[in-house]
Amino acid sequence: MEALAISLVHALPVLSGVPLWAMTLLVTVLVAAVVLTFALTYSGLATYVERKVAGDIQARIGPNRVGPVGLLQFLADGIKLLLKEDIIPAKADRFLFILAPYLVFIGSFAAFVVVPFGVGLIASDLNIGVYYVMAVTSLVVVGVMLAGWASNNKWALLGGMRAAAQIVSYEVPVGMALLPAVLIAGSLSLQDITRSQGGLFGIFGWNLFHNPFTFFSFFLYYVAALAETNRTPFDIPEAESELVAGYHVEYTGIRFAFFFLAEYGDMFVVSALATACFLGGWHVPFLSAEALPAVWGNLFSLGVFLGKTLGLVLLMMWVRWTLPRLRVDQLMRMAWKYLVPLTFFNLLGVSLWLLLFHGKGIPQMIASLFG
Amino acid sequence: MGLKAYLSDIWEAAVTVAKGMRITARYGVDPRETITLQYPEERWTPSDRFRGFLHNDIKRCTSCTMCVRVCPIDCISLESVRGADKKLVLVSYDINIGRCMYCGLCVEACPPKSLTHTSGYEKAFVDRGEFILRFVPEDPEEIKARIAKQVAEAAAKAEAEKAAKEAEEKAAKEAEAAKSAEAPPEDPKGEQMQSPAAAPLAEAAFAAGNPAGKPEKPPEEGGEGKKE
Amino acid sequence: MKARAEALPTQEMLINMGPQHPSTHGVLRVILRTDGEVVVNAKPDVGYLHRALEKIGERVTYAQFMPFTDRLDYLASMNCNAAWAWTVEKLAGIEVPERAEYIRVIVCELNRISSHLIAFGSFTADMGAFTPFLYAIRERERINDLFEEICGNRLTYNYVRIGGVSADLPDGFLEKTREFLDYFEPKIPEYNDLISYNKIFVHRLADVAVISGEQAVAYGLTGPNLRGSGIPFDLRKNEPYSVYPKLDFDVCVGTGERGTVGDCFDRYMVRINEMRESARILRQAIDQIPDGPVMAKVPRVFKPPVGEIYFRAENPRGETGIYLISDGTVNPSRLKIRAPSFVTMNIFEEITKGLMVADVVAVIGSFDIILPEIDR
Repeated sequence: MEALAISLVHALPVLSGVPLWAMTLLVTVLVAAVVLTFALTYSGLATYVERKVAGDIQARIGPNRVGPVGLLQFLADGIKLLLKEDIIPAKADRFLFILAPYLVFIGSFAAFVVVPFGVGLIASDLNIGVYYVMAVTSLVVVGVMLAGWASNNKWALLGGMRAAAQIVSYEVPVGMALLPAVLIAGSLSLQDITRSQGGLFGIFGWNLFHNPFTFFSFFLYYVAALAETNRTPFDIPEAESELVAGYHVEYTGIRFAFFFLAEYGDMFVVSALATACFLGGWHVPFLSAEALPAVWGNLFSLGVFLGKTLGLVLLMMWVRWTLPRLRVDQLMRMAWKYLVPLTFFNLLGVSLWLLLFHGKGIPQMIASLFG
Repeated sequence: MGLKAYLSDIWEAAVTVAKGMRITARYGVDPRETITLQYPEERWTPSDRFRGFLHNDIKRCTSCTMCVRVCPIDCISLESVRGADKKLVLVSYDINIGRCMYCGLCVEACPPKSLTHTSGYEKAFVDRGEFILRFVPEDPEEIKARIAKQVAEAAAKAEAEKAAKEAEEKAAKEAEAAKSAEAPPEDPKGEQMQSPAAAPLAEAAFAAGNPAGKPEKPPEEGGEGKKE
Repeated sequence: MKARAEALPTQEMLINMGPQHPSTHGVLRVILRTDGEVVVNAKPDVGYLHRALEKIGERVTYAQFMPFTDRLDYLASMNCNAAWAWTVEKLAGIEVPERAEYIRVIVCELNRISSHLIAFGSFTADMGAFTPFLYAIRERERINDLFEEICGNRLTYNYVRIGGVSADLPDGFLEKTREFLDYFEPKIPEYNDLISYNKIFVHRLADVAVISGEQAVAYGLTGPNLRGSGIPFDLRKNEPYSVYPKLDFDVCVGTGERGTVGDCFDRYMVRINEMRESARILRQAIDQIPDGPVMAKVPRVFKPPVGEIYFRAENPRGETGIYLISDGTVNPSRLKIRAPSFVTMNIFEEITKGLMVADVVAVIGSFDIILPEIDR
């Protein structure tokens, strides 16, 4: 941020009188505002897309009344939720009840900070990027548990407990499945991980095709990430048909909207992580965004990254409208008996591969065979 | 669980999920599969036998009260008076479509086929009283008064004729000798009919609705909306 | 384990599942005692939809009760209509024209398909997959279109009459029914691919809430719930009525193909297979239907002889039994309806012990109960 502030001062001499700390603060706030705006717009549009996808799959039409092809439906919904009565149950723990949606929201949207949108488009290229995402998204658990507890509703409590058990369990396979990418790049920074997947071999530079283990690692990550975002088939904390609405059963109006937005934010974050760690981030075959002039390079890489990420988000929606829901014990069994051992196995495999082939992927390996 | 079962479990899960997703994807991308009807703009045509709102063509209605008797929930109320020409005159014919369950029994029972189902199915009201469809536009009291007047006039006329006849007879009798007139004077007021008692042909059918021993509740008072 | 329980005292939780709950299929209330997620006891509390239909039946005439049978099991109105008509006809000894009987069988089997479609759809929706529900509704709409053509309504048909049916089939109805079957039959394998054999779905249902054959008989389960436990009892075969003896079809039973005989998955599969069998019956009935009148001579003021009768018909939810005492007047002296869903709820408390909360939903869905019939 400071570097950005300095370069801004250099670019615009008018600002030279402003002290550096004020400039840094200004830049930070601006970047935060941009990222938040993006996140909220995306979440809103994602709700629209989700409903449209559901409509298409279910032989219906979906929203089509507000705006062209119903595109402004999410604004109408947002306004509706804002105008709804804000009900706090009489026997609820008021403070925690109010706090919970913010925690969930923060947990989900703070992760946007390290998402590598483009060559230079990253709010903050933390050197512990992956770790940061894992840590921040864990805040969601706290919020969900608080929501479940503070509502003083038995369904909400069950939902909260389920969510806690689920998200804590699935943190393990998610982390484990991401580690191969970290091993290959030798860095926790998402920008470094993305850069490590470049190269002229096109998609074979991606971690997905780096070696067989990373290939499976991607799918394991995706399944675990689905669970972590509480999406069907792992949406047991909400489980509409069992727990009515799970942990947010007592929430109304804008407080409910926070949970809702956080869910879509979460979907984006896990998909972005999958893109950055396995699908080469903003890399596309035969064209290097880094070689393009700064603005075009950034725009191009942004488009590529969003395309890949939103594709994964779309896949999540598709899965949601196809599959039934697991039972809570089956969910746990899946985490501990299937995903955790398999991700361990994969991590081991990747490590061995790197050890044996000096950190090279399949294409490089083949290339080296021919001289 | 052996390793083989473990792996086949995973494989089976992946295959069945893929199968399901293929089907949903097919529906997702095929626009022909969309079946939604955009209701206010697009409408489906109800079939010929569609049982929509009831309509009574009061010109053809004979006030036989078959519909009232056959209705399982007493949502039709009918009032008629005996007119001057001894035919029943409809005073009021109300259907409470808030109570009607569109079973169609009344339409089947209607002898002159004046009661029909329309294809209408859209109606909204702000007040419960508006659910009562009134088919006779005039005020019932006015009709009653008018019919009573007509009946009275007819009766008076009949009376006058009778009186004239009697006078004639009397004169004839007097002329012949002593024999007294026996014809009793006719009820000058028009016979006010309560519908249950009106049509004798369906007497038994109506009694079915009210078990023996219970006082019969006149269907005219049946409409809930009227009380409000 | 015991030491831990002493150190960390836990309480059982009492949860009211319903009467307003997305997956109790109406206003059923289940009083759940749970130990965390595990159900200690689940007691169904019925009666929220009681409308005194039996008492109403004693106040109205035999013909007037017909629209009320629509409200008995509103997903299978035709079957309830027909059951009432068969009962009264059996009591009064009315001979029904053959064409009318065939029409009844056609509408009953169509309604069985539409009822099982709802059972299939709502069950999958309970399991979290919402899409098959809408596919099922889509197919059911076509059946509703057919019914609208034949009787004018889409839910409460009131089509069957004592002594026949209210109107003959409209022109082209049989062709349209055949078209529907051509459209519908390939959909069943699609459902199976989409959801029935989905690993998650199978896992949710297999070996859950197993009802053995003896248990099912002891508790008086009927219909698909009984057949799911492997007992091949179908009134259409075992106590034939109407023209069913002339039609060739198989009785579907649970085979335990993914778990134990009598689990939720078997009950589910019986319904899926029965849709197929119903389609088979329909095709035969369409081919065999004779010409002729559709209404027997029934006096307008219908007074059956003094006597009592019990008639049972195989409805989509099981055996709907109607017990009727006539005192020779125009309305029944006593009417008792044996509703299959109501009888099914008896076993609920026993088999849900030790299951998870999510399984309770599965059990309710697999029983395919319908509340207006339970409460009457």
